[in-house]
Amino acid sequence: MSTTELSAETTTATKPNLLAIINSRHGLRLITAGTLLLVLLSITRLITGADDLTSSGTMGTTLRLTVPILLAGLAGLWSERVGIVNIGIEGMMIFGTWFGAYGAWQFGPWVGLLMGVGGGAIGGLIHAVATVRFNVDHVISGVALNLLAAGGMRYMSELVFVGKKGGGISQSPPRKSAIPTFDVPFLAGGKLFGWKSPDMLGSIEDKHWFVISDLAGILRGFAFGMSWATLLALCLVPLTAWVLWRTRFGLRLRSSGEAPFAAESLGVKVTRVRYLGVIISGSFAGLGGAYLSVVSFSAYRQGQTAGRGYIGLATMIFGNWRPSGVLGGAMLFGFSDALKLRRDDSIPALFLFISFIAALVMVLSIYRKRLIPGVLAGAFGVLFLVTYLTVNKVPSSLTQATPYLVTLLVLATASQHLRPPAYAGRPYRPGESH
Amino acid sequence: MRKNKRFAGVALLAAVGIFATACGSDTKTATSGTTGGTTATAGTTGGTMSSTPLNLGIAFDTGGRGDGTFNDSAARGGDKAKTELGAKLDELEATGDQDRKPNLETLTKNGDNPVIAVGFLFGDDLKTVATANPKTTYGIIDSVVDAPNVKSLVFAEEQGSFLVGAAAALKSKTGHIGFIGGQEIDLIKKFQAGYAAGAMAVNPKIVIDVKYLGAAGDNAAWGSPDKAKEIANGWYAAGADIIYTAAGGSGAGTIDAAVASGKWAIGVDSDQYVLATPDQQKHILTSMIKRVDVAVFETAKAVQSGDTKGGVQVFDLKVDGVGYATSGGYLDDVKDKLEAFKKQIIDGTIKVPTAP
Repeated sequence: MSTTELSAETTTATKPNLLAIINSRHGLRLITAGTLLLVLLSITRLITGADDLTSSGTMGTTLRLTVPILLAGLAGLWSERVGIVNIGIEGMMIFGTWFGAYGAWQFGPWVGLLMGVGGGAIGGLIHAVATVRFNVDHVISGVALNLLAAGGMRYMSELVFVGKKGGGISQSPPRKSAIPTFDVPFLAGGKLFGWKSPDMLGSIEDKHWFVISDLAGILRGFAFGMSWATLLALCLVPLTAWVLWRTRFGLRLRSSGEAPFAAESLGVKVTRVRYLGVIISGSFAGLGGAYLSVVSFSAYRQGQTAGRGYIGLATMIFGNWRPSGVLGGAMLFGFSDALKLRRDDSIPALFLFISFIAALVMVLSIYRKRLIPGVLAGAFGVLFLVTYLTVNKVPSSLTQATPYLVTLLVLATASQHLRPPAYAGRPYRPGESH
Repeated sequence: MRKNKRFAGVALLAAVGIFATACGSDTKTATSGTTGGTTATAGTTGGTMSSTPLNLGIAFDTGGRGDGTFNDSAARGGDKAKTELGAKLDELEATGDQDRKPNLETLTKNGDNPVIAVGFLFGDDLKTVATANPKTTYGIIDSVVDAPNVKSLVFAEEQGSFLVGAAAALKSKTGHIGFIGGQEIDLIKKFQAGYAAGAMAVNPKIVIDVKYLGAAGDNAAWGSPDKAKEIANGWYAAGADIIYTAAGGSGAGTIDAAVASGKWAIGVDSDQYVLATPDQQKHILTSMIKRVDVAVFETAKAVQSGDTKGGVQVFDLKVDGVGYATSGGYLDDVKDKLEAFKKQIIDGTIKVPTAP
């Protein structure tokens, strides 16, 4: 996300070496940032006494709330990386919730997820036909798709769900069964051949030690009561990164979004690649929708996606069109959403935590001689700190707005360094290079 | 040539879009058409049904007929008016904020009288429409609209909530219960206040967790079952064993969590036991019943007999406008105590607070 890394990407020197450098720096930076966040979280927890802040329960909730947003963000990434702006993710997710719930109700949860993927892919295909084949403005096609999905699925509900037990025009009957969850043996007290292994992370978490217990709590969130569907979704992050940056297919995909005419002149079938990218994008969005109606809840309900498609797009921008960045952005939303849903003392703690982060961003910005973002971050930090110190019960409207405020903060300070795919959203017609 | 292709694409998309929208409205008209048709036949064969023809228009809020709680309750009132008063029934459902005013106008233009708006979100739009159409009588559920031709139908939710709160406290083994609200607004705070008062009346030391899904104006709060489920899961894990949810469609998430952790959920507005699957029924302790159906039916009946005056009507325990459900028989052992509370509320010995 820094300047060096981006300029490295845009210069056209020897590719493999550069990739390795970007990768190692990227990895190092992620680890540093992660450690810093953990220490800050731990300090916040010690000051406020809000032990729920880093508990495994909070982490589990965070993960479940993160997944749909993450998948929406990755959907946006796949599409924009081939050069097609995808405002229609929300609509593709609606397809996913409906088909997912239908499959889970008729055949079982795994079939439900698969059908959700299929529904989203159909949405992707429609968007691809409009934007790739007919060169319709990407935003218009996306908006049309959102309208089509909302109206179409309501119509389908009327045909399929009305009159069924538990179903109606705005909801489906509940799924047949849930996707199983697992506890990892030894780490989170999972069962091993019927023997209950010790819950090591759980016992460390309960000690409330500085940093160590926080780390244990966060890790246990991944190990305890984990749904196989959640694990599957998380695995799609490295998979996306690998396919897009480490395979020939990925290079073709990205080149179609960066410089389609150059790619075309080198024999890449840009049109076909774009179709694929947008259909894959739809599949991701569909899986995100199906997760909502099969895993997060047991049925389809009208309006269930609640704008997550758009939030996903925000995380894509936030994450600078990179899978790890998307994951970070989605977890930010998931985490602040989770805190709202858990113990009340976590919210003031979140405010203190945000003021810490703002202070950190301020120091970094000023160190890099970027004054305006630095001052902005500082102002944000003071605002949150004052709120934490003076307000007894945080007004709920402010609580609800927190993740959006944080996104604004990050976008305001980092937007100068964001780099979207060069050709995203611009019209392209094969063989018409100038 | 290329331009043509592009134009064709736009046209295609637009056509698909219009087709989809048309599907939606077509079905709506079709539904109301068929209901009208059947009623007409019933009217001619019945013959003895009441003399004045009655065209009842119901404007549902989001969720509509089949939502399992609030709107369904109104729908039952409409159905009853159809069979008992020989009313012709027209229904329209809002799919979003933009639909409410046009739906009220459409029903009015259609000649429906009375037109009943189901939900407080209709408040401002109804005021406008009612002022413009003084000859039509309107009803609105859960809100007070001050106009000479609007009957404001409000409920004493705090009284019904008091009783389910008392039931929760009587049935809780852990002395730890919860309340999940939709939007943090005065209407839903009435539910919370009554529930807490009822629970405290039984067990002053009871622990009550409270959480709202959204701030005022955040309409996603009525349709986020996944979030209600996360809240409920957290509380059940922390020792709560009964959770009451007054959050429209989100409440289904609490039932989900109750099924998964083997605890109790309390439904709202309709008797949610009736529409639940057998798995879910084992975990629905009771429901706070709000007789929106009674309000709808009584309004239709009043207009038919010539009473078109506006004003505020309160549906409370005294007139059975609110109450608690006994489906499943889970409350059989505490029913006497609940009836005693009910009597005390009706005769005024217990004053139930309307704000927490």
